Amino acid sequence: MKFFTFSWGSNYIAVRGLLRSLGHDLATPPPIGPAIAKRGIARAHPFLCFSGKLVLGQMEAQLENGERRLAFMSSLGPEACRCADTSDYVCALFADYDGFSAHRFGGGNLGGALENLRSHFGPHIRKFQCFRAYATFTGKVDLLHKIDKRCTRLRCMSTAPKQVRELEQAALARIDRAPGPLALWRVSRWFDRAAARLPLRSDPPSLKIGIVGGEHILSELPSIMVVIKQMAERGIFVDWRSSFRMLVRSNERTLAPLKERCSDYLHKAPSTSEIFSCAHALDFVSEGYDGLLHIYAFGCMPQTSLKPILQRIASDAQMPLLSLAIGDRFAEEGLEGRLEAFIDLLETRKKKGVTR
Amino acid sequence: MVATSKCIGIPRSILHLEFEGAIERFLRRLGVNIALSPPTNAEIFRAGKRVVIDELCFPIKIFVGHVAYLVAHGVDQILIPTIVGHVNDRAFPCHPRQRLSDIVRALGICDANRLLTPAFRYDRHGLTAGSFQSLAQSLGFSEAAATQALQTPCPEQLVTEIPIQQDGLTVAVVGHPYVVEDAWANNHVIRRIEQLGCRVTTRIDHRPTAYAPEGSGLHFALAARTVALAQAFDQEDSIDGIVLLLPFNCGPDGDIAGHLVRTTTKPFLTLVLDELQSSAGLVTRLEAFIDLLEGEPIPIGGQPR
Repeated sequence: MKFFTFSWGSNYIAVRGLLRSLGHDLATPPPIGPAIAKRGIARAHPFLCFSGKLVLGQMEAQLENGERRLAFMSSLGPEACRCADTSDYVCALFADYDGFSAHRFGGGNLGGALENLRSHFGPHIRKFQCFRAYATFTGKVDLLHKIDKRCTRLRCMSTAPKQVRELEQAALARIDRAPGPLALWRVSRWFDRAAARLPLRSDPPSLKIGIVGGEHILSELPSIMVVIKQMAERGIFVDWRSSFRMLVRSNERTLAPLKERCSDYLHKAPSTSEIFSCAHALDFVSEGYDGLLHIYAFGCMPQTSLKPILQRIASDAQMPLLSLAIGDRFAEEGLEGRLEAFIDLLETRKKKGVTR
Repeated sequence: MVATSKCIGIPRSILHLEFEGAIERFLRRLGVNIALSPPTNAEIFRAGKRVVIDELCFPIKIFVGHVAYLVAHGVDQILIPTIVGHVNDRAFPCHPRQRLSDIVRALGICDANRLLTPAFRYDRHGLTAGSFQSLAQSLGFSEAAATQALQTPCPEQLVTEIPIQQDGLTVAVVGHPYVVEDAWANNHVIRRIEQLGCRVTTRIDHRPTAYAPEGSGLHFALAARTVALAQAFDQEDSIDGIVLLLPFNCGPDGDIAGHLVRTTTKPFLTLVLDELQSSAGLVTRLEAFIDLLEGEPIPIGGQPR
């Protein structure tokens, strides 16, 4: 069976890996752009976050191309958001497409994942097939995360940004083709060797900016805010640690140290995704970054709730913070202007020797 | 039984209205000195709006205004429960409601040590007994005292039935309890509908819809409750039309509003509530809706529009 999904940056490759290891396939989502955003805005309620509108836009575009089986990953856990709303609601939104069906994949443990796969593909799915499918999925998620992080860093550190972009594209293609964990290990080794051959700058980064924000919108930055990656090519070190991988790996055990880290700002009881952004912001503060950049989709409830908390963190640390809400006006100009002003401010502070 | 002589302030807003004053009643039974903020008014709202970021929803601004009121009136502690989610770990409050105490703390309107932020979970009936026990123990009460307070009958709990069909129209009003029960927040919509000669009902007790209905497939518990309540009203012979109160920028209810319009068979009106308290547009829409109900009664079992 062929499924379709939304992109989550490049993470659809991991969902495709899971489906292919079970003998199925996944269509490549259309790239995010103004046309996709326009579709999503028309389909969604105005109060839906911009991320949600992008997702709906990508879904609608694929439904019009004849795709009918939506595959989406969700744990249904507390770290999830509207993406955890299951098929009844999604089906109702796209009821005008005959034959549309929504299939949520995921599970809290191997037993839950096996039960979930059997509910979609039948009782013949064996435990080892489930294990292999999820090993491929998580292996691809981990490697995609590694490539994204390393290439973002290399954009800043390397004197050959074009080669970095080419390396990233080649790595994504190899990850997509890799049939299982062993092949992924080989891709990882190949990437490490290729990355080590890239020429590096001798001077340190002019600025270090830590980025926090919604996991979905950060994963889509190359499509919707290419200016962020271009900042790295100007010698500004940009780093973000929130990702699809964090959501995939999220559980009470992995969250416990983060909750402890955030205890001055966040109540420990809820296990929501704001914990990631808050912990990362505190890490950037303690690691001596020059500024904090908060990027979130307009209407994103976790990130909107977090905004006053980030303001408090920045105020306590005397660290410049810029919050950029990406919304329905799908144009970078206004955001670029604000970003340039923020960078100017950070550079001036650094030149004047302003310490936190 | 008194283990604390402190005066504990409770904001008469989101969580107090959502859980029908359950925590206040429990603390009063324990003998705790409680100060409840007054019903929402313009001054309370303005106090919240001044400090809350624009993007947060309208009810959060009201809530923070209530906290500011209690801070200004010198209560010893302010109770802002942290609602974690359903015991089944499948339904949750929206993120701003889960983070109310963190937002208040970050805004700096009150010292962190004045905030009392016990964690609560709920099941389909409401807040769980274990959460009440933990709260009581944190205030220095014994387990026995907490158990006794939990078991005390609750005469003030309202049980209302949908009125039997008589002459005139009956309109069901659905939405989050903290906008349905807060007359200022909903711009006195219930009174306005009654002034138009209709009866209004907001709850349906003879058919349990539960606090957080399971199996709806929705992540957010209150949205699931709103859907369940609207669907139950849709099946009631005595209900002529349904009004959904939707606070501005509420993501979860925004998601379900369109779904309800498509799937309910009765006339359905969505009213977005925001900070603009002008009643002119609201009254016109209500009058048009009532005119529609008077002119075209929709038969039960009719086809969805």
